[in-house]
Order: sequence, then structure tokens, then C-alpha cells
Amino acid sequence: MKKWLTVGFVIFLTLVLAACTNAEASEDQAETETSTNQETETPTPSEDTNEKQVVTFWHAMGGAAQGALEKIVDDYNNSQDDIQVNAEYQGTYDEALTKFHTVAGTETAPTMIQVFEIGTMSMINSGHIEPIQNYVDKDNYDMTGLEENIINYYKIDDTFYSMPFNSSTPVMYYNKDAFEAAGLDGETPPRTFEEIMEASKAIHQNNSEMKGFALQAYGWLFEQLLANQGALLMNNDNGRTDTPTEIGFTEEQGKSIFQWVETMIEEETFANYGTDGDSMVSGFLAGDVAMFMQSSASARDVIDNADFEVGVAFIPHPENTEREGVVIGGASLWMVDDKDQAEKDAAWEFMKYLQTKEVQAEWHVETGYFAINPEAYNEELVKDAYAEMPQLRVTVDQLQSTTSSYATQGAIMDMIPEGRRIIETALETVYNGGEVDETYQNAVDQLNQSIESANAARGE
Amino acid sequence: MTEFVIQSEQAYAKVWNKARKRQRLHSFLKGLLFLLPSILLFSVFLFYPLAKTIYLSFYLTDASGATTVYVGLENYKQLFISPIFQKSLEVTFLFVVYTVPGTIVISLFLALLANEKLKGIGIFRTIFSSTMGISVAAASVFWMFLFHPTIGWLNQMLATFGVDSIGWLTDPDWALFSVSISTIWMNIGFTFLILLGGLQSIDRYLYESADIDGAGYFYKLRRITIPMLSPTLFFVITVSFINAFQTFGQVDMLTRGGPQNETNVIVYSIYQEAFMNYKHGAASAQAIILFILILLLTFIQFKLGERKVHYQ
Repeated sequence: MKKWLTVGFVIFLTLVLAACTNAEASEDQAETETSTNQETETPTPSEDTNEKQVVTFWHAMGGAAQGALEKIVDDYNNSQDDIQVNAEYQGTYDEALTKFHTVAGTETAPTMIQVFEIGTMSMINSGHIEPIQNYVDKDNYDMTGLEENIINYYKIDDTFYSMPFNSSTPVMYYNKDAFEAAGLDGETPPRTFEEIMEASKAIHQNNSEMKGFALQAYGWLFEQLLANQGALLMNNDNGRTDTPTEIGFTEEQGKSIFQWVETMIEEETFANYGTDGDSMVSGFLAGDVAMFMQSSASARDVIDNADFEVGVAFIPHPENTEREGVVIGGASLWMVDDKDQAEKDAAWEFMKYLQTKEVQAEWHVETGYFAINPEAYNEELVKDAYAEMPQLRVTVDQLQSTTSSYATQGAIMDMIPEGRRIIETALETVYNGGEVDETYQNAVDQLNQSIESANAARGE
Repeated sequence: MTEFVIQSEQAYAKVWNKARKRQRLHSFLKGLLFLLPSILLFSVFLFYPLAKTIYLSFYLTDASGATTVYVGLENYKQLFISPIFQKSLEVTFLFVVYTVPGTIVISLFLALLANEKLKGIGIFRTIFSSTMGISVAAASVFWMFLFHPTIGWLNQMLATFGVDSIGWLTDPDWALFSVSISTIWMNIGFTFLILLGGLQSIDRYLYESADIDGAGYFYKLRRITIPMLSPTLFFVITVSFINAFQTFGQVDMLTRGGPQNETNVIVYSIYQEAFMNYKHGAASAQAIILFILILLLTFIQFKLGERKVHYQ
């Protein structure tokens, strides 16, 4: 009896293990099957005689954006017979960049890769990329049609190193129904730190279940709140005139954000979701919090999923400062060096295709990322979407009403990803009752230390 | 005459020594030949990376990990004044203290239960060891749902009892505890299976003679089961210790080292330094320190723990 039980147990175990591995294997199979299907199902007469130039495109678009991007790639592959673009998802921006740095200069490196804006300096320093400017010059391609702020960010020393692609800025989302229930005007959202505190109080008083405001502990949002009050993140004009040697914001500017949050925590109108953006969005949708800041790229998602009316507003600034505007976020496309010229030329063709107003219109409407080519806003597709969701317009307005300055041009430095994590830890510390002065000083010390060691590693 | 004898004896000893030496060399080479495959594999996958890590720890690197500037012991010096590294040392020790005893005690308890000869005990043995077949990634996703602040089962259960919800993974006071719970759950399967195997191999005659002497259950447990199980227990404790020090997957999936670095265990901190901050030098220095720590602790364990181990 016992023997049989043991045998049964062993069989069960093997089955469990086999099931696990099988599931993985069949998934892989399914994936390769679909990808081969796509290639074979769209037969092209010239395929046999004229081999397609394959372009490997690494990207970091997950979720809804991944679907939208893959559709664009498929459309492109079907629209012509010479180039086959293989889009490969490589995880988050951080992960994709890490993978690139590991394989750069080897056979397995992709032809082109999407890298987030703060990876710009890291890519240039890697020495494995070819500036897009070479192709712009060769082709006499007109880049002046792009959105001005995007050019400001990506043009470094008069050179475009990468092709802008998906750009977003943070906006403030708010629950219009909750505003009206609290006796506030849902059409005039708060614009300053102080107004947000007032509105939060009113909302929390009206409905004790609902907090007023949530700020995800996310370094990018902190940078944007700095830029919006005209503060620099790094010295030497945000690294635009020379390599930064220390942080660029003053104590008053940096602390303003910490103190603002601290006051709201004391007034119990602040919702703490830590670094978890997904929980924050689901908290907003569930009516736990009335306002939060997030990338405009989530606009479509949030508006579609909310069962109340969602408002979209500009991000706030302290009352005693002027609104300066936002820094462009998102990612751009990089041409990887040491590949065949034919392959790189094919990638360039695909990059140009992504710039066209039709593709950009589709991309903007499907995701909430900007159209980097402003002509796209005149497309019917976009006009229809705006009629249906006027909130999408706000994200564009905020970008276009930004004052051009070093602050809103955005900082370039290779240690910014690390800097973000330092800021995030500091924000979390304050959210959990840490002392502002001490936390702020620690964060600044760590930032300066990180800048110093990044410069030392480059032998500067 | 005597001189001659001594001489011949010396000569004999010489020859004998020589033969013995040759014999030794011969068997040494033979042994080496048998070890060759593992030496080769170890060299490629362990010794070379170790040497390279030590080398890297004296340099600053660029993003791809190529060395740029020689800094000597600077990376180590920086570590010992870095509050983040001190924090991650502290967190790692706490994590070991939370998970190792918990895993061993629960698994031992379950193994003792499952060792009873009852009808259908195989079902329970299967259930208890089933977490072994679940990957860390899958288990972490599962626990992430349980820990979710609003829709997670744990908080919903608390809500039905009227208790305030807990920020399992976002509250710095709870995060490490939550990660530890999920880790204990993940490790139970393996530990349980090994301990059950150990229990099954204990000679039944020992229990029979104890029964004749009229010994009670707990007396038998203390005097027979635990001593006879001690080699297995020792193995399990050592392996659990090393595993706990090297935990990475669940931290990466559940908290990414946050909130406020409360779950930033050393291995995660190494990963972050090397692959997110691109400071391969500092990361290597941390790896070396972790290596020394585990080496020391394992050594101490063998010195202290093994005395109590009873081999048959």
C-alpha cells in the first residue's frame, strides 16, 4: 500500500514538473509559430528572388502600447517587400538598456533599440551607436517639422544622436465627480501646490473614505516638479553646456516638494502608494484618491477604465513661482553601429516611417503618447478622438505651452537612473514619517556622490 | 660491518621512499584524472568568474563592464561608509534570521506529521512538498496578489475581522516580513522532502525497542528522531543558510528592494549596482564581501554545528 502511494506521489511530482516545463515550451512554440505564420501568411511574389532585409528592433513597450506598436510594425512589414522588421520586447526600459550594454558590439546586438530619455548619455558614452544625424544629413531629411520641445531635448551639441519616437509628459489626473461632490469646480482644476492642498482638504472633508492627492515615489515626477518651477536638476545648465559636477537645484526648490507632501501627510489628505504606480491607478479608479500625477501615456487607459468622469490637468508648481513647463519624457530610437550598412539603411527607412503623420496619429490616439510630428494633430483620426476624449488635448497643450529653457530642456547625465532611485527612497522615507531636513540632506549627498563617481569612472 | 648494515638500510629506505613517492604521485595523478571534469567545469563557471570578480572590484567600469580606472581598495572603502550597503547587510541578516528557523521548524513539523503511517498520507506528502515544483517567479506573482493593498485576499480577510489593512509590501515595517513569509512558503517544499527522506531512513527497530521500554512520543522524538535526523538537519540548515543569503527572485518581483531599501538584500543590491547603476566595480566588491561572509558562516557552522551531528 505504502509503496503504491510513494509511486503515485512520484508520478504526481513528475507530472507537475512536466506540466510546468511543457507549458513554457508550448508557449514558446506558440510564439514562434505565430511569428513564422506572419511571415508565411503574407506571401510576397518577390520573396523568393529578392531576400528581405531583416531589421531587429528591440523595444520596451509593454501592455497596451505593445499591442499598438506591434500593429504598426506589422502594417509596415505588409506595406512593402524589401524590409522585414522584427520587433522584440526586451522588458522595461531599464532591462532593455542593460541587455543592450551587455551585448553591444557582438553579433546578437539588435539593429535598432528604443532607449528611454535618461539613457541618452549612457548610449552616447557606450561607443556602439551611430548618430542619426549621419542619416539625416545623407538623406537631407527634415527634422524641423518635429515638436519643438522634443528637438530641444534630443538635439545635443547640434546633433541628433537618436530618432525621437514615443514622448510623454506627466499630467495630473483628477476625479471630476469627486470635485463636484465636494463643491469644487470640476472644470478649473488646481494649478499650484497650495491649491491642491486646499482641494484635497475639501474632498477629504466631504468624503472621509477618499484622500485628496497621491504622488508616486517616482524620480521622474520629482524631476518634472522641479522643472515646472524652473529648477535645474544638474548644474552646468542641466549638463547641456558641460558635464555636470553636482546637482543644480537649490535647497528651497528641492525641499518645496518634500514639504508640500509632508504638509498633506499631516493633514491626512495624502494617499501613499509608495513606488507602486499600478496600485495608485487602481486606487484612483476605486475612488480611494481624487488626484494623482502620472505619464500622459496612461491617459487612454485611465479614461477608458474609470466609471466616473476623469479630468486631466497641468502638473502643479509652488504658488510663489511661475509655471515653467514640463520636460519631455519617453524614449527615442537608436541606430546600433557595427552592422551592415544595408541593414542600417533599412532601419533608417523604418524610422522615417514611424515619423509619418499617419503613424503618429494612430500611435497618439491608441496610447496617449504625443505625436512627435505635430502635423498628426490635423489627421481625422486625432480630431475624432479629441471629440470623444477632450482630455487627450490637455497633454498636448501642456507641452506646447512650455517655456523653452535649460530647466525644461531636461538634464542629460549618465547617472540619472541611479539618481532617480535615490530620490525615490527619499520620498518614501518622508511618506513613512521621515524627517524632511535630514532626508533631503541625505538624498542630496548621495546624488552628489553618485555624480562624482560617475565622472570618476569616465576618467574625468 | 655495522656501518654497512646501516648504509644498506639507508639505501633501502631511500629506495622505499622513492617508490612510495612515485606511488603517491601516481595515485595523485590518477585522482586528478577522475576530478578533471569537475575541475574543468568549476574553473570555467566558478574559479574564473571569482578571479574576474576580484579583479573588477579594484576598478571603476563603464556601462558595458569594461574597466576604466584603477582605484585599488577604494570600492571597498566606499562600501563601508555607504549607509545603503550597511542597510543591506542588516536586511540580509534579518532576512536569514526570519526565514531559516521558520522554514526548518515548519518543515520539520510537517515532515513529522507526514511520517505517520496513515491512510492517504501520500496526498498530504504531495501537498506539503508541492511548492518545490513552483518557480520563484510564479510563486512571487501569486503572493503579489495576496499582498495587494486593496484587492488582496490578506487585506480582505483582515477587513472582515474589522482590522485595518496592512501595506504588506509598501509599509517599511512590514515589507521584509512579507517577503520572508513568501520565501518560507517557497522553501518548505524542498526542506520538507529532504527531512521526510531523513525520517524514513531511521531504523524502525530503534522505535520498537523504545516502545518495549515504554518511552513516550516526545521522549522518542528527543532521544531518537532528532539525533538520528541530525545529519539531514545539518545539511538542510547549511543549504537554507546559503540560499537565504543568495535570495534574489522574490525580492526583485515583490518589492524591487524597496520601500526605503528595507528589502534590499545584498544580492539584490549587487544586481542593482551592476546592471542598473552600471557600477560593476562596486558590485564586485559587494559580491566578494558576500562570498567571505558566507564562507565564514559556513565554516563556523561546520565547527560548531557538526559536533552535535550524530553519524551512524
